[in-house]
Order: sequence, then structure tokens, then C-alpha cells
Amino acid sequence: MKKEKATDLFAISRKNRSIMIIILLLLTVLWSVPVYSLLKDSLKVNGFQNYIYVLTHQVNGVPFYKYFVNSAINAVLAAVLLVFICSFAGFAFSKIEFAGRKLIYNIVLMCLAISGPILIIPLFYIYKTAHLYNTHIAVILSECLITIPFGVLMMKNFFDGLPIELKESSSVDGATTIQCFFKIYFPLAKPAVINLAVLQIMWSFQDFLFPLMFLTKDEAYTTTVAVNAFKGAYGMSPQNLGRYNASLVLISIPSIVIFILAQKYITNGITSGAVKE
Amino acid sequence: MSKRKNAISHRNNRDGYLFLLPLIVIFIGLLGYSFYFLITNSLRDVTITFRSSEFVGLNNYKTIICDSKFWRSLLNTFILSTANIFCGLTFGFFVSLALNFRIKGKRFFHALYFIPSMLPIALMATVFASMLEYKSGIVNQILRGVGLDVLAQRWLADPRYAIWAVCTISIYLIGIPIMYYTADLTTISKSVLEAATVDGASFRHQVFLVIYPMLKNTHKTIILSMLLGGFREMERVFLMTDGGPGGTTEIIGTYIYRATRSAGSNIGLVCAASIIVLVIAFIISFVQMKLMKENG
Repeated sequence: MKKEKATDLFAISRKNRSIMIIILLLLTVLWSVPVYSLLKDSLKVNGFQNYIYVLTHQVNGVPFYKYFVNSAINAVLAAVLLVFICSFAGFAFSKIEFAGRKLIYNIVLMCLAISGPILIIPLFYIYKTAHLYNTHIAVILSECLITIPFGVLMMKNFFDGLPIELKESSSVDGATTIQCFFKIYFPLAKPAVINLAVLQIMWSFQDFLFPLMFLTKDEAYTTTVAVNAFKGAYGMSPQNLGRYNASLVLISIPSIVIFILAQKYITNGITSGAVKE
Repeated sequence: MSKRKNAISHRNNRDGYLFLLPLIVIFIGLLGYSFYFLITNSLRDVTITFRSSEFVGLNNYKTIICDSKFWRSLLNTFILSTANIFCGLTFGFFVSLALNFRIKGKRFFHALYFIPSMLPIALMATVFASMLEYKSGIVNQILRGVGLDVLAQRWLADPRYAIWAVCTISIYLIGIPIMYYTADLTTISKSVLEAATVDGASFRHQVFLVIYPMLKNTHKTIILSMLLGGFREMERVFLMTDGGPGGTTEIIGTYIYRATRSAGSNIGLVCAASIIVLVIAFIISFVQMKLMKENG
């Protein structure tokens, strides 16, 4: 994908090329079914007025844009926290020889297996005790926690590709490891940091379980949980169904925009986070 | 000389743990405590208010292991993962292969097949739930439109079809496999493919006998990461069927969520279930790491 060279993978006949295009087009038709269904439903009864209604009226006493603001705050703060933790840890695992490095790294890798549902009860208890329940902090911490193993892996892989000599020469010059990290390695790691931040933002926007579990106030809801809340709030009359679907279309917009703006980073990020030794 | 070496290793230890400090704090504070919490409470009979609790030994584990609903939800989790894997290895592979040839609108196709994986699954699930609705859903409307009224079913309310109806979303979630395949297809050496073409390999042979086996490691990465991904699934079932009809579509995510929310339930049971799931996930993760090491 990096070099947009117009070459074929291998020589193929014209017939085979046409067959491939036809299959791609058939899949496109399949893809357009849900899009068509959603757009059609969103225009029910009042047409485009549905969108204006959703944007100008409050649902459960909360203006619609508030959900986007909540999602954005969660996503950005989770990304900042994740980058902070993972670039430090990735650097340590890659460039510093300390006792227990292998062991701790393997423990972190094993944590790739941890999934959200099994953590909801203990985290619920921790947040209740720490009075963080019903705050954005609870959601941010949880979303970050789940992504840390992946992030550490990704940052370590990236730092592995940078030469150790940079650190050696800077330590000869009398710089501490911390100075060396901030002055030399962190600026060099900018591409990986951006990849990781974009991925976390995307995953935060997708997350459903943690906001559902840890937020009970409507004004704190993120867009995904709002989907669930709207269902009850709008009810089932055809007019409201149109508005409900219009709100779904609006909710999908941030994810699509993020993808279009950051397609390169998302692709690079996920593929560079593969486990390798 | 050895004194200086000691000083360096001492400094390295100090620096190493200094850089790991944020990670260690959040891991011990949240994960470490969570594991401790799950293990101790899985041995107890305790309610969500945590007021009264009683030590019951391994009884909770016994109850979970004998609970057919738990096994059902584990099975369904694997069915969903398998559907994801199947679609990834077929459609995902095909799309990334096709997009490696000169085709008009390549970028458009790439974005199109990718975007569903970027959308909140909660959103996809909601849209699919209304598409599969019996009376006004677009699927049944199309079926009736072409005169196949008999095939129009209560997709999400019929225990025979519900879990498969939930699986249909998997077809659209091929973004991640496409990403892996696209990245690895570029690493395949052109000379091998050219040699095969010269030797008269047809398109079919080229794809199935040369390229597909060469991507063995990519297949493994996709399979294992999607197996683990199954345990993270929740909103798909939660918003489409809510585990129904009659618990036939329950997956681990919804099983645990429901257990925490039902009034007066024994949290110890949920903790025991979580521990069992965690052990299974660790085994998959362990296999993954072993395989990756073998492949270098």
C-alpha cells in the first residue's frame, strides 16, 4: 500500500480480471443493503426534517452534540494516557537492560488475552470504592487498560527498529536516560505514537461495554451507549423511528471521518502490532 | 572494572523500572487487584453490594461447570469467532488479493470494505436488527419482493436461526484481515509468482497453491487474534437479540453482563465464570506466542 505503483501481483488474463471486478461489485451491492436500509429509515415520515429535529432537540434532557463531546473527550484522554504509558514501557523493554525485563514483558504479552467482560465486576468494585463510578475517568482508565498490552508490543517493535547506538553515544555525552528518551527516541517515534493514538481514538469511539457499565447518567453517555438509550427515549411510532435512525446516521459520521483522515495510520498501526520475537 | 559494570547494571535497573513505573502502577492497581478480586470472590457467596459474604470453596466453579447456559454461551462465542475467521479468510483474502491488481476505483473499494470494521459495532448491530425485522425489515421485503415468501423468517426471534442471523454481521467485518493480508501480500517475492506463471500455473493454481500457502503466518495471526476477539464481543448480541430467544444466542460477554445485573445474584458465580474464561483465553494466547516464536 505504501508505494502506489500500478503493477499487478502477477500476470492475469483479461477474463480473470473481469471476474474479480464483478465479484467486487457484487460485494459492493451487498454492502449497500444496510446503508440503503438505514438511510431509507432515517428519512421516514418527515424526510430530512428528522436530522434537523435530532440536532436541535434534547433527548432525555441532553442535547445531541453532548454525546459527541463526551466520546471525543474520552477518546483523546485515553489516547494520551495510552501513549504516555506505552512509549515509556516500549522504550524500557527495547533499549534498557534491566533485571526481569523478559519476564515482565512476557507477562504484559499474556495480558493480550484479557477481555472487557471478565473485568467489569472487579473494575466496577474498584471504581465504586474509589468514587470514580459514573465519571469519565472510569471509562478512560478501562479503555486504556485493555489496549496497553497491544500498545506496549507495538511501541517495543518500533523502538527495536531504532539503533541502540543513539543511546550509547548520548550517555557518553553525559545525558541521562530520561533526557536521551525525550530528546532523541521519542521524537523519532512520532510515527508510531500517531498510529497508536489514532487506533485508541478509534477503539474508544467503538467501545460500548465500559460506558454502558460505568456510566448511568445521560449527560455522561458516549455516542455508542446513546444508541441504546435513544431506543427507549424515542419509542416506536413511525415518526420517532425516523428520528431514531437519523440519529444513528449522525453517530456513524465521526468514525467515518476519523477513518478517512487517518486511514494510513490505522493500517500501519494494526499491522505493526503483530507479535514477533 | 567489575565495580563499574555493577554501577551500570544498577543504573539500568533503576532506569528500567522508572520507565515502567506508569505501566506497573496501572497494572497492579487495576489488573492485579482485579485478578485478586476475581480469585478470592470466586470462592465466596457474595451479592453485588458486597455486604454479606460466605466462603463456599469451589462450589461456584462446580455450579458454573454444571450450568448448561455457560457452555452454551461459550459455544456461541466460538461460533461468532468462527464466523469472523471464516469471512476473514475467504472474503477478506479475496478482497485484498483483488486490490493488489490494477483495478479502477481501488481506493474506493478499499475504504468501502474497511469502514464497517471502523464503525461502532453497536451501530451495525442496531441497523442489522432492523434489517432482519420480520414485518418491515429489508431482508424479508427483498425475499417477498422476489416471490420467496416462504423464506421470510423471524430471523432474530426463531431459536433455529437467531445465532446465524447474528453471525451475518461477520461478513461485513473483514477490515482487519484485509489489513493483514494487504501488508503481507506486498512481502511475497514477485520472482516466485513470475516463475509459477512461466511454468504455466493458471490463476486458480497461482492463488490456491502458491499465494494462499505462502500467507500461512498471516492466516494464523488472523485466526488467533479473532479467537481472542470473540471474548470481547458483547454489543452485537446485546443489541440484536439480547441473548434470546430462550438464551440461544447468549455469548460470554452478555452472560457475564446479565449475571452482574440480575438482582440478588451471586457475584461469586460470575467471578468463577470469569476465571474460567480467563484461563481459556490465556491458553489461546500462550499458543499464539509459541507459534509466533516458532515462525521467527
